[in-house]
Amino acid sequence: MIESFKQLEEAGRDRDLADVFLEVDEQEHGIPAEQILAALRKRRGVMRDCIERGKGGGLSMGKLVGNEARKLNEAFEAGRTFLDPLTIKAEIYALSVMGENSRMGVIVAAPTAGAGGVVPGMLMALEEERKIDPEKTVRALAVAGGIGSIVALSANISGAAGGCQNEVGVAAAMGAASVAYMMGGTTRESIHAAAIALKNTLGLVCDPVGGLVEVPCVKRNAIFAVHGLTAAQLALAGVESVIPMDEVVEAMVRIGRALPRGLRETAEGGLATTATGCAIGTRLKDEANQRRAERAAERERVAQERKGSES
Amino acid sequence: MAVRHDRKVSILDIMGPVMVGPSSSHTAGTARLGRVAREILDEDPVEVRFFLHPPLAATYRGHGSDFALVGGAIGLNVDDPRIPEAIRIAEQMGVEIEFAEEDLGDVHPNTVRIEIKGKTKEAEIVGSSIGGGVIEVFRINGFQTRFKGDSPSLLLFYRDRPGMISEVTRIIAEERINIASLYCSRKQRGKDAFMEIDVDSPLAREGLERIRAVPDVGEAKYLDRIT
Repeated sequence: MIESFKQLEEAGRDRDLADVFLEVDEQEHGIPAEQILAALRKRRGVMRDCIERGKGGGLSMGKLVGNEARKLNEAFEAGRTFLDPLTIKAEIYALSVMGENSRMGVIVAAPTAGAGGVVPGMLMALEEERKIDPEKTVRALAVAGGIGSIVALSANISGAAGGCQNEVGVAAAMGAASVAYMMGGTTRESIHAAAIALKNTLGLVCDPVGGLVEVPCVKRNAIFAVHGLTAAQLALAGVESVIPMDEVVEAMVRIGRALPRGLRETAEGGLATTATGCAIGTRLKDEANQRRAERAAERERVAQERKGSES
Repeated sequence: MAVRHDRKVSILDIMGPVMVGPSSSHTAGTARLGRVAREILDEDPVEVRFFLHPPLAATYRGHGSDFALVGGAIGLNVDDPRIPEAIRIAEQMGVEIEFAEEDLGDVHPNTVRIEIKGKTKEAEIVGSSIGGGVIEVFRINGFQTRFKGDSPSLLLFYRDRPGMISEVTRIIAEERINIASLYCSRKQRGKDAFMEIDVDSPLAREGLERIRAVPDVGEAKYLDRIT
């Protein structure tokens, strides 16, 4: 049983980090390693499909976002971008997943849907750019899941519980650790990559405009995919977090508790209550009410028809 | 609500589920809560009422939680692409649906009480979607519990009396099934009682029938992992 990152570092010294996590799951949940890897292989496929579909764009449910991946991909393919390809692909892929998510498409929650672009963005971009064996990516997904499962022992992973740090912050930490793993880093380096990524998201609030997983969520996933890559790069160069990962998680929990309710996914603060945010919120409410009224009228019509045909 | 989980979640719980967007707590988790209500009812619903805790009532529409709750209540999985159409499908099935706000007390923000009725039966659950699609159902038909839907479970409604737990668990042992956790509660000594038994492997039909035959067992339901 591994209950802390300190224990993980001990257990994972000179060992493959994915093997450590797979062993833990086999012991605690009775799921054989091969079965977990098979499921993760499928999930990598869902991520891949989602990225391909997402590049095509299309408006979200709330019509606030949806074409970010398409625009950046077009600029990239036309040679109109200035960042390096790894960074840009991480952004495009994160945006693709989030675009699909905002259209009620099928995605992989990693660890949540609202932060679901970060891990696939980082891992799929790295796999492509460094020509990494897809099987290694599958194992890196086990590392990402394992890191998240230790965080989840002390924190509820939701914006409602502790703000966006609990979602996108945890996703960036999971992604940073798995990128360090894919690049051949040690267990210690993976844990420090996670700590550096997470501590630099502390205090991030969840203030979605109109309560939708659209603004600022979609673009934020792209930004934090790059953030996670940076954290992994630092850790792989031997830079370590002065505050150990276990304590960073503790700090996250305390900060989450201190956040006012209005900044925990309720859409009653922050960006959601700016002039523009409020105007969008009002429009969405009006549209929802109209749809409800239309549905009620339709139900009424069908009921009348039924009555008519019976008599 | 940063509570320590009572057991470690798995790699697949964190890197998943595969689901219809846009929110794991508002879409996947709520769909699973709807499914729990449907599985406990154990027949086609004709009427479902959702009572949303105020923070959820403020956010549910934008996340498609209404589609997800209804989708779950009519038996759809969290990755079923028909979830965005769930309300229409339910209406076509003739299911009456209602959403209301209700203060459910000192609970997780994303908590809902579900009343579900079929032609012959009815059920009620109260549960929270705590993030990443993970759920905690803490009341079933008025009994305290701690149902998570992440393993096969046996739910027993019975008359409280000495020896009940040992008789039931002996049958489970004879079926060569390992018990992961067991939780009992009752309304009053010697009266209505409830037992939730989470098991490591599926329980066969004959095992369930043997448990149903135990004297004083009113109802025994076997629920698979809720996906």
